[in-house]
Amino acid sequence: MIGTYRRKLLVASAVLATGSLALTAIPAQAFSVRNEIGVTSTSIKLGITLPMTGAASPGYNKIPGAMKAYFDYVNASGGVNGRKISLVVKDDAYTPTASVQATNELILKDKVFAVVGALGTANNKAVAALVNPGRRGIPDLFVNTGFSGFAVKKSYPTTFSLFPSYVMEAKILSMYIKDKFPGKKLALLYQADDFGRDALAGFKTGGLTFDTYIPYAPLSQATPTVPPTWISKLQAAGSEVVVLFGVSSATAAALGAAYAKSYRPQWILGSVGGDATAIKLAGVPAPLFTGVQTASFLPAPADATDEYVKLFQTINTKYNPGVTFDNNILAGMNTAFVTVQAIAAAGKNLTRKALIAAIETKGSTFASAGLTPMAPTATSHAGYNGYWFGTYDGTATLKPNDGVYTVYTTDSGAGAVVKSTYKRPAMPANGLPTN
Amino acid sequence: MHKLLHSNFGRFVFFIFLGFIIFLAGNRVDELRVYQGATLAMFVVAISSIILLTGYSGQVSLGHGALLAIGGYSAVLARNYWTLPIWVCFAIAVLVAAAAGAVLGTAAARLSGPYLAGTTLALAVGLPSIANQFSFLGGEQGLLFDVGAPPISLGADFSPYKWYFWIAASAALIALWWLQNIVRSRYGRTWRAVRGNEIAAQLAGIHSGKAKTLAFTVSSGVAGLAGALLAMTIGTVSPSAFPLTLSFSLLTGAVLSGVTTLPGVMIGAVTLVATPEISHAISNRLGNSEAVTTNLPGLLVSALLILVVMLVPNGPVEQMRSMRVRKNASISR
Amino acid sequence: MFTFIDTVIIGLTSGAVYSLMAISLVLVWRSTRVINFAQAGQALLSTYIGYSFIGLFDSYWIALFFAIVLGAGVSALIEILFMRTLFKRNTGPIAGVAPIIATLGLLGLIHGLIGIFMGGKEAIIRPPVSNVGYTISGHTLALSPLKLVIVSAVLFLMISLSFIFTKTNIGLALRASAYSPEIARLAGVKVDAIRTLGWALAGAAGAAAGMLQTPNGTGALSPDSLEFSLLLVLGFIAAVIGGLESLVGAVIGGLLLGLVLAFVIMYVSATLPFMTAFLLLLGVLLVRPQGIMGRKVGRRA
Repeated sequence: MIGTYRRKLLVASAVLATGSLALTAIPAQAFSVRNEIGVTSTSIKLGITLPMTGAASPGYNKIPGAMKAYFDYVNASGGVNGRKISLVVKDDAYTPTASVQATNELILKDKVFAVVGALGTANNKAVAALVNPGRRGIPDLFVNTGFSGFAVKKSYPTTFSLFPSYVMEAKILSMYIKDKFPGKKLALLYQADDFGRDALAGFKTGGLTFDTYIPYAPLSQATPTVPPTWISKLQAAGSEVVVLFGVSSATAAALGAAYAKSYRPQWILGSVGGDATAIKLAGVPAPLFTGVQTASFLPAPADATDEYVKLFQTINTKYNPGVTFDNNILAGMNTAFVTVQAIAAAGKNLTRKALIAAIETKGSTFASAGLTPMAPTATSHAGYNGYWFGTYDGTATLKPNDGVYTVYTTDSGAGAVVKSTYKRPAMPANGLPTN
Repeated sequence: MHKLLHSNFGRFVFFIFLGFIIFLAGNRVDELRVYQGATLAMFVVAISSIILLTGYSGQVSLGHGALLAIGGYSAVLARNYWTLPIWVCFAIAVLVAAAAGAVLGTAAARLSGPYLAGTTLALAVGLPSIANQFSFLGGEQGLLFDVGAPPISLGADFSPYKWYFWIAASAALIALWWLQNIVRSRYGRTWRAVRGNEIAAQLAGIHSGKAKTLAFTVSSGVAGLAGALLAMTIGTVSPSAFPLTLSFSLLTGAVLSGVTTLPGVMIGAVTLVATPEISHAISNRLGNSEAVTTNLPGLLVSALLILVVMLVPNGPVEQMRSMRVRKNASISR
Repeated sequence: MFTFIDTVIIGLTSGAVYSLMAISLVLVWRSTRVINFAQAGQALLSTYIGYSFIGLFDSYWIALFFAIVLGAGVSALIEILFMRTLFKRNTGPIAGVAPIIATLGLLGLIHGLIGIFMGGKEAIIRPPVSNVGYTISGHTLALSPLKLVIVSAVLFLMISLSFIFTKTNIGLALRASAYSPEIARLAGVKVDAIRTLGWALAGAAGAAAGMLQTPNGTGALSPDSLEFSLLLVLGFIAAVIGGLESLVGAVIGGLLLGLVLAFVIMYVSATLPFMTAFLLLLGVLLVRPQGIMGRKVGRRA
């Protein structure tokens, strides 16, 4: 008896709910014919979630400022097709719970047109599972993670990668190390989570085995016991070349502890933990950098001969005053640049569908600061697919080996590593993408 | 009203009534609020597990996030490996977390205040890293948790968020109803006796160790349920979903609610859910200094916390009750 | 052989840092029965104070002195402004949690304020003495002048504080007001002042921990610095292992924790240091629920 009564209630309220939903849906649909959510004739609203506070924030919390600076620069030149871009920043302190909540707010309350540059693998996975931008058709552009899975369109229909995957990085590193350091005792010091394990898989595909493997717990580099013990272990094993796949605070801890033990192997840093400014900020004095090698896909942040770097430095001085120009700023501005490029390519009648289609069809010809091609297609949403190698000098300035950017490209699967013949197209006039 | 609440049947009716109100509310607000409602329900469950432990049995846990993690992972594993119905997964979450709590509680019963606090804190720091050691736990990216689409009978337009909200709200109501009953039962009285004066309770024939272990077990089971709900509201479980800050914010919620009063639990939960949004609104008005915007939420919660502990240490509900008692006393005089 | 010696040295020198933090927690616990989670924030604040004095005087040692003195001052102020009211108002079950919550709140407050004023600014403290290890027959040990300074600081603090506690009237008053404030007050002890003194000493120890560990680590200082939170957690674990009541226990707890962590990382795996700390704590407490040097609590009135 009570059962049927309750069911009736349920049905009644469901009908009510459906009714009210339908009522609210009609005006929205009527609008969307002319204007997509988050877009007016004079504005475009974008959103980003990333750690602005907490242990994971140092370095990354400079990215939104850089993105805003570039958007401000574009807006000052009249915007994209007359629309000025704004960016809503939400702090998630690197916890997936907060990322989901923040993304929900971006979509449901701030009503952004697209999410750009959301950071973190676990965070993006949670957002994809729950908020599901894919089902809602909301573009989730240029996620800030090297997890190769996000490039798979079938699983994440509206998500686009920008950075090369950790697997690609490890495969290219394997080739490089086999070529440059044959017969040396090798060691791999890596963060014992998916970030490190993705790399491990890449090294396996690349056919490189190390003599010593030291996986370490994330965050444990901040305790006084841990880094000195790594170094003693590496010394005991007689390692001559040490590859480090960790965040920049781990790089700083390792370089500092090695210095204290007069241990000087050939360090090769993964791109995540290889940014000099971040490592210097983490406490390592510049002279310790001499000879340390790392990989990157963007030009060196100190390379003022690069037209993009030069422009971005000028923009940073004007629109982001007081913030030191480094790899995070460069990467942030480049992400903003590619976003503007994609929006411009989507045409005057800006819709979410048009934006996604524009990246899928024209993405491989997009202008950007990247020294490797971008590889998005109608089936794969991969971003850059290669790396070049450089060495730090005594002033912690990264210089490409032999003075030229020699780029190697590959994929996240079993494909071979090849020397790239890609020549980056010239920067659009004034750094404002138009097509 | 109060008299009604003192009988089991009365409480049952009351909670059904509460459920009906929540159900109606869920249909009247937009999707974002519905989603926040689900989070709110999760916090209600998690905070009541702390209130039960600290307020009613006098034990302090700084690592309830670890128990939430155990519950969350058990529910997800049960769902993913055996594709069990969702409510069975929730039950498993409760049982596994309770079992873990029983083991921990046995150790805990031997420990006095700060030693227990230290042990639970160490657990909260250590446990999540285990997920990175075993591949079936999904590593840092975690595991997906799909509770399934809402039943078709609810209509095609019934949004998943509303479905989560219904599940979380009913789970919270059942948990609260059950907790209300248990704290008023013989066990509840035993716990309060041990909390009040352990020696006296022992003299009265209460086995204080057993009572504490039981309280820890029950609290852990409820925390496990909260963990499963948390996993549902973010669609995944991963180590970073259960940071030390989660344990601390649950404790914060419990103090804001009034650590001895289950009925106040809503206050703490609402505060935890609403603070980021409120501080965002304030910082937007204050201008756009990045340093202020990012640090304001933490600053606000901390200030609020200190104010509450200094001014209304026993929580707003208890404060009002004692004020009423004082007022009545002065009138009768 | 060198690996083994290195492991012992790393264990002891890093354990000394945990000991420092543990000492400051024990001091607060002994004087007011509070676990002071704000200590991580206080240490961070004191280290920032020290950092600005380095800029002013260009001397680490003068800065260390000011950091310790002002750190003690801040700590005393916190006791006077917050803890006193807290103790007077809090009774019942909340009394077990309120101080923890209050100190957590203070931690958040200090963090937020430092974040607003110092966020995004570069702050690095260079070692005052060399951190490069001594060399014996071509092998550089994990023992450097800086590490020797840290170990001596811990020993100095432990011995001098133990002396104050056991041999002086202040120490007697400290112990009396912790065990039984009412009786101490009747006996003419200025309980409030004595409690504040306990907090001040703890603040000084915390400041020393922050100022010494920062250059011993990477040297970087940031409001979001994880090092201080982990220092607090591991220092607390060390204090609990040692027994919370005893300064010697805090030092033993810290060294034991350092040694166990170093040996596990070196010879077993570097992947589970935090779980190792938990298991060590659990193991010690299962054998001795009151910690290594703690006394079994008698009948509570």
